[in-house]
This record gives sequence, structure tokens and C-alpha cells, in this order.
Amino acid sequence: MPRWGMVIDLDKCTGCQACTVACKEENNVPHGSPEEQKRAREIYWHKVIAVTQGKYPRVHTELIPMPCMHCDQAPCVTVCPAKATYRREDGIIVQDFRRCIGCKYCMVACPYGARSFNNKEQEKKAYHRQDSPPDRSVWGQWPFPTRTHGVVEKCTFCFHRIDQGLKEGKKIGKEVVPACVEDCPAMARSFGDLDDASSEVSRLLSSRSWIRLREDLDTKCKVYYLLK
Amino acid sequence: MDRRTFLKLSALTGAALGLNRVVSPSSAMSSSAPLQIKPQKMTEVKWINTSCLNCSARCAIRVRVINGQAVKITGNPLSLTSEGKVCPRAHIGLQVLYDSERIGFPLKRRNREKGKGIDPEWVPISWDQALTEMANRLKSLREAAQAHKLLLLYGLNTRSAEDIISRFAEAFGTPNLISGNGLDEESEKSGNWMADGHYESCAYDLDRTQYLLLFGADLLESGKPLSRFLRKWGKLRREKPNRAKMIMIHPRYSVTAAKSDEWIPIHPGTDAALAMAIANVIIAEDLYDKNFVHHWTAGFDLYKKLVLGHYSPRAVSEITGIPYETIHRIAMEFAQVKPAIALRGRGAINWPEGSYTSYAIFCLNALVGSIDLPGGIIYQENPRYKNLPPFAEDPIVRKGKVQPFLDFRGTEKFFNAKVVTNQVPESISKNIPYPIEMAMGFHCNFNMSAPGAGRWDEALKKIPYYVHISPFVSEMALYADLILPSTTYLEEWGYDHSPPGSGFAEARIKQPVVKPYGEAKSSIDILFSLAKRMGGGVERSFGHMGEDSEGFVKHRTSTLMPWKEFLAKGVWIDPKYNYKKYDRIFNTPSKKFEFFSGNLRSLLIKMGRRPKEDLHYLPHYEEANFLGEKERYPFILHPYQPLMTLENGSQNYPWAQEIFLPMHGIGWANLVEINSETARRLKLKDGEEVWVESPFGKIKARVKFSEGLHPQVVAIACGQGHYSYGRWQREIGVNPNGLIGVDFDRISGQAAFFNTRVKIYKT
Repeated sequence: MPRWGMVIDLDKCTGCQACTVACKEENNVPHGSPEEQKRAREIYWHKVIAVTQGKYPRVHTELIPMPCMHCDQAPCVTVCPAKATYRREDGIIVQDFRRCIGCKYCMVACPYGARSFNNKEQEKKAYHRQDSPPDRSVWGQWPFPTRTHGVVEKCTFCFHRIDQGLKEGKKIGKEVVPACVEDCPAMARSFGDLDDASSEVSRLLSSRSWIRLREDLDTKCKVYYLLK
Repeated sequence: MDRRTFLKLSALTGAALGLNRVVSPSSAMSSSAPLQIKPQKMTEVKWINTSCLNCSARCAIRVRVINGQAVKITGNPLSLTSEGKVCPRAHIGLQVLYDSERIGFPLKRRNREKGKGIDPEWVPISWDQALTEMANRLKSLREAAQAHKLLLLYGLNTRSAEDIISRFAEAFGTPNLISGNGLDEESEKSGNWMADGHYESCAYDLDRTQYLLLFGADLLESGKPLSRFLRKWGKLRREKPNRAKMIMIHPRYSVTAAKSDEWIPIHPGTDAALAMAIANVIIAEDLYDKNFVHHWTAGFDLYKKLVLGHYSPRAVSEITGIPYETIHRIAMEFAQVKPAIALRGRGAINWPEGSYTSYAIFCLNALVGSIDLPGGIIYQENPRYKNLPPFAEDPIVRKGKVQPFLDFRGTEKFFNAKVVTNQVPESISKNIPYPIEMAMGFHCNFNMSAPGAGRWDEALKKIPYYVHISPFVSEMALYADLILPSTTYLEEWGYDHSPPGSGFAEARIKQPVVKPYGEAKSSIDILFSLAKRMGGGVERSFGHMGEDSEGFVKHRTSTLMPWKEFLAKGVWIDPKYNYKKYDRIFNTPSKKFEFFSGNLRSLLIKMGRRPKEDLHYLPHYEEANFLGEKERYPFILHPYQPLMTLENGSQNYPWAQEIFLPMHGIGWANLVEINSETARRLKLKDGEEVWVESPFGKIKARVKFSEGLHPQVVAIACGQGHYSYGRWQREIGVNPNGLIGVDFDRISGQAAFFNTRVKIYKT
């Protein structure tokens, strides 16, 4: 069984946020509004954050793209009282919208702020994409033609693409990748099997210095950042 | 009981009851897809190749269309300019297309009074009525031999629409065709022209570059073509054996600066001095490319004398505020790491002496021999579309086209200008050289994007009849007597190519991916039907080049590749590029690269102006002229374009708005960014509202303390402050262009954006 992971090269990254927009587009993630931003109630499955250190003129800002880290020891899984969030065998942490009771424990537990609560009123049809799900033969079942409200949601590593790709015998990491990886113009992101020594992600991790965020919490997350 | 309560209850009681519609047995069993699934429907899925138009890069894109609805945009892998990649603006195309506040019918104004805050009282009318009304007015202008009193304005359009608009101007007989280029990078082009005779922006062979020296060039936010810079940035960093080095010289710590290896803050408006000092070090250390300089340049001795005599790094250190050691070090690196490129961006050259600054920076490339070779400056080749048939020149055209230009291009005032966009409002308001009777604006929004934005309001108010062509009611459309709803780029035919970047030629198709919204028509079709209604010479000039937009695009691209193949591939590429064309690339009197501009000299002689001093023809630094007294207005305003600003005149796109300023982690706003030390001195509180006042206006916005800003500078992002239409943009943020005074680069007519002084105080 593969163990899917992502490697983000901060040296190549241009901070353009194509990943954030591509994710919204692919997964039909509702957009926010000025009021929602003020109350920190926007929904992102992926966001680029800025961390600034230093004083003028010796200042340094690191722009860090943040998907869900898909931790092998995920705090969100531990705290979920409804077993709505769990780890798949391939290491992807998923959220079962049918089981989620909207208690937000997982949001508190997640050290990366990767989770959002869907507050949208159901009658606001603007947040439903009117089209039907996309071509199943290409990327597999597209799970989000309409939205589920009152639940917590998060990045899925675009598992609908992976599952379909596997069924069709495609090479995951080369032919089939999550939307943020596919649409990164700097090609700063890679996706693949961390347990496969010949995969692109393993090659990068063995040849470059890398970090994971909040290593101190021992979450064993599967998103790695390459440094300069 | 609402759904959420129900969900909670069902989970708490442990009832595994599914909701009526949600679970199919298969997915409930498998662990892989525990999410709701809709019943399968017949779906028709298509991928259509077309191209983007959310900025001037016009990237090749593929759009996924399901049952007639566009759901996904991604890059076209066949495009080589950006290797099939696109920037986030391309994805936002879906919200441009499905903007819920677009207009679907021609709108006629009922309220004769025009102005900010006055309801135009739009009445929908039929296309027939709209076009007849326009055609009658246009005909009577021509019949009165007043063709030159028609003004055509255009912003960001497809190349095909630009070609048709300029055809219309020619056929109608007006010289007054004004693009938005005068607000963009005319000073860069003008600087290039002084050196090598190409009035065009530079292309860069980024695949092999080892060193980038960026003078105010925010490549990763507003570079052109943006997607190419984003792609190549990744390539330069880690996809070749040696990691390239980037140095950013800029008063603002931009995203590009954050991603560069080094950020060097510089006193605003002193980039030319720095470029000259770098040349000083390179020449003094004898590191210049002697082979290139000796064989293929002219005027080096005069340049050398000037550089060594006036621009020692120590003196320039005083001017620029950059330590002597830093200047010396980057000059040595620039000369020794090969190939290296020095790039200019708007921050360095949209100044009153912009052409000279552009010239000074460009000359550094010649000094190290980075001209027309792998990894250096290259010269853009464009697709050879089929020539348009000759147009019918009737007496009215002959009389009209020789009238003086409304924007004073090519006159004493702007002697080397191709277009002076921001001169237009003055000319209209003062009736110089003559009054304008009618104007048409295509996809432009100059009263948001031009410095001294308020002047455009006054000028538009004064035009007796203004027709605006746009998919939405932009700020400029508020002053229209008639609005024609045009299609977005995803609903129309066209052809396009990028601004200079790749070197080799690449053309892209635009084809409708979905049906047009309402009764919207493409600009090309509007002009074709208008020409038909006008008859006479205008109609004849529109003959033999297809009957409509599709026919026109087919006609013009027939020289490139078979139509079916073009539709299927979406791009046409001629990837060959020949380097080192030194014997034929320089369009200068000496046929060489000129450090002493023969082009400028002969132009001035032709115009009867003969400055005696050599300095006028050499790249040099002049102290910038600031608008506003330093005592009253201590700061310099720095308006900048973040990546998420679209260039189509609207910002009504939630995906762009919510992540508008990534460096500050906020959206739906812009901020008054100020150095934190300076702010503390002014006793401001981070996040409070402040007034920013220039001699030309004032605005109120939230202040943001920043460590990444030169202490003399106040930065405000452009793209916000819309007041016309749009739930997602109206009353959000402020428009810094309203504060900027009107000034020009006196050679190219480029509008100056960065030389206005402001003060800040608490509300």
C-alpha cells in the first residue's frame, strides 16, 4: 500500500497562490466574503501564509503554501468523537461529511489550521456549482457537486483523482497529481509514494534538506518543505 | 428541525440513517469515497483549447466544459512560452465568465446628467436600435468631414480585436486611436529604442540565465508575461545544474523581493544612478565584455567618460542610500557571473526621466555582452498573420488622418511618444487641438487605472456622445450614453500572442467555450455590423477579410496552420530562434548597439531641436521631480500591482479578492503600508484608519506597519476602490491613482506613477 505525500520546494515557489485558486476550482470550495474574513470564517482547503521575521532592512518573509499535512499521527483523528475523520490505508486523512457533527474539535486540535467549518446557509445556492460532476473517466468521481453545510471540511489530496488514476493503472505522481500540484506554474510541488524509494518525492527528500512543520508535536505529517 | 440539527441527532443516537439522497451502497462500503454522490446523469464533457485575457500575457489555456458549462481552466501543455503553465489569474477566468452582474442587453442612458453618484437611469434597448443610433451619429460626423473628432479608446483586448479597432479608426478617418499602453511600460520601450532601435519591450532567454538584477521589476506579481516568469523562476532555481541568483532592488519588499536571494532597498527614483555606478565599477575593474563592446557598440568612449567621471560608487551611495560595498559587490557579481541580465520594472522607470533610466539599465546588458545570446536579452518575433487587404481611402479619410493627434504624440511636448494615454483628458477638457464629438471605449477603465483618475471623469462628462463596450458596467461605463455588452474572452473568436518574453513566435486561438451571456456580442462582431450599417468607404474597408469574428480570425491565421488543426491544438509555434544576429538586429544609425543614442539625436535634429550637450543622448541620472513640497508632504506614494489584480477593469472576483495581499495575509481590502519605525514616529496605531493626502486628493484607509518598506515610502496596492458595479468589489478598498499627480516621461509620454508626495495623519 502506498503512503501518499507531498513535497513543496520553497526555493522554487513563487508565492503566486495558483495552488489556492486551483484547489477552490477543483473542489468547488465556497468562496468567502469581507464579513466572513473579518470573522475568520472563510473556507480554505489550501492557503498560502506569510511568516515575517526581522527588522527593516534585514527582513525576511517566507511564503508557505499550506495544504492539509495528512499526518500519520493526526490529532484531528484522535479527537473526533464521531469517527468522521479518519486515516485511509494509503495515509490520506479524510472527512466523512455524513458522520461529522460539526463539533469543531478537530479544528482546535489541528496544529496547522488546515480545517474549515462550512457555515454557509443552505439556501445560498450561489455556493452550489450548477454543473454536473466532471468526466469520471478522466479524474474519477467528483465528490462535491453541491456542498454540505454545518460540517468541517479540508484538503483531500484530491483523492478522487488518485482513486480513479489507480483504477486505470495510471502512474500516480506523474500522470495523476492533485490539482495544486498540476497547476503550480513554478513546478514547486511534487506528489507521490513516500515509501517508494524510486518516486520523485523520495528522490527529492534524499537529495535536499527539508523540514516538516511543527516537528515537535510528532504528528509525522506527510507534507515536506524543501529549503534553499 | 434543520439539516444540521438532524445530522447531529442522528450521529448522537448512533442511528446510521442516511439522508434521502446521499449514500449509494457502493460508496458506503468502500473506505475511499465516503462522501455524497449525486445520481449519474448523461454528461457531455469537452476540453476546449483557447487563451486567457485576464492580463496582457494572453496564455494558452484549456477549458473543461461539462454540459455547456465551463468548470475548470488549466494551461495548454503545447504552449512553450510558459511551458503549458498558467498563473492564478487564468483560473479566475471562471468567475469572469460567470460574474453574476454582467450585462446582457445594450443599455441606453436616460438621465442626461453625468457624474459620480448620479444614476444614469439605464434603459435596455435592442441591438438594432443601438447600432442604428451609433451608425447615424458616425455617418453624420463623416459627412461633415469631422471624422477626426471621433476618439477610440481601448484597454486590454485580444490582438484580433485590437487589429479590428485600429482598422476601424483607419477606415473611418480618425488619427485618435488611444490604447492604455501609455499607462504601462512605454518608457521601457523608449529606452530600448535609444539603445538598439527597437521600440518594444525586451524578451529574456530565461532558461540559461545565471544572474538576474531586478530594478523595480516585480516579476512574480506584475511581470509580463507573468506565467512565463513564474515558470522560469522555478526552472532558474532548481531545474538546471547551477542555481541562478536573483537580486531585487526596490523600495518595497514585494513577493519578488521575498523570493529573491537579496533585497536591496533603494531611495525612490534613483535607479538610473545605481545603474551608472554599476557600470562605473564594471568599467573601472576592466570587466566589461571587450569583444562585444569593441565590435558591436558605438559611443562607448563618451559613455565611459561620463560613467567614470560622475558616477563613482561612493557618490552614488549617497544618492541611492545603498552602501558602497553593496554596489561594488553586485557590480562585480553582475559582470562575472555569466550570462546575467539586468531587468527593469515599472517601479524603476515609470518616472519623469523614465526613458533615461530604462536606457541606463539596458546598457548594463550590453556592457557584459548579454545581448541576443543564450541566457541574455533576446528579440521577440511575432506570428506573421495574413496581411489585411488595403483599406478604402476616401477623401474623408485623407482629410481626417492628417489632423494632429489628440494626445500630442510626436510633437514638441512628447517627441518620441507612440501613445500618451493620460494626456487625453486634458486635451478633451481644454478642446485642444480640437473638440471631440464622439468617443468609443473598448474594455478600458481609465478613470480607475490612470494617475489623476478624477480628470477622466470630467473629460468623459464633456464628450457629447460616449459609447462604452464592455461585459460589465465599469466606472468608465458610468459616463456612457450607450453601453454595448461585449462577450468575455471565453465566449468569442480571436487570435492572440504574448507581449515580448519568449523570443520565438507563438500564436493562440480564442474560440467560444460556452454560449455568450444574454445578447452579448464580441467587439469584432460589433465593429463588423457597425461598418455594414455605415456603408461607403468604411464598409468597403471591412470587406475581403471574413464576414464576422470567426471568418476574420480564420482569414488572418490562414498563414499559420490549417484551421482545424489550430482549433484542435490551440497554439501555433515557431520555436526556432537564431542568436547573435548582431549584423542585422540593431536599428540605429551606426547599425550597432549605441551607448550614445544616434536615434534620439537624429529625431531631435529632425524636430529642429538641437541640445548641444552630449548628455542628452547618453544614459544618465537626473534627480526626480516630485509633485508636492517635501516639507508639507514628507512621504513618497508607491502604488503597486499585486498579482491578484486583474487587468480587465474589474475586480468583482471573490477568488482574487479573498487572497488579495498574500504578504499581509488579508483580502477584500488594500492597506496604507508604511515602515514601522516611521509609523511609530508618527504615533500611529497598527490597523487604525488614517488619511493619506497628496496635493491632488486624499483617501482614508487602514494603516499597516511593515518591515519591508523604505522609510520614505507609503505603499498602497492598486486594483481596489471600485464604485460602479459588483457586489464583490464595490466600496472595497481605495484607489491610490486618485492621489497621483499628472506627470509624464518627457520622451515617451509614459505616465509617471511614483513621484507624488503624500502626508499621513490620523482620522
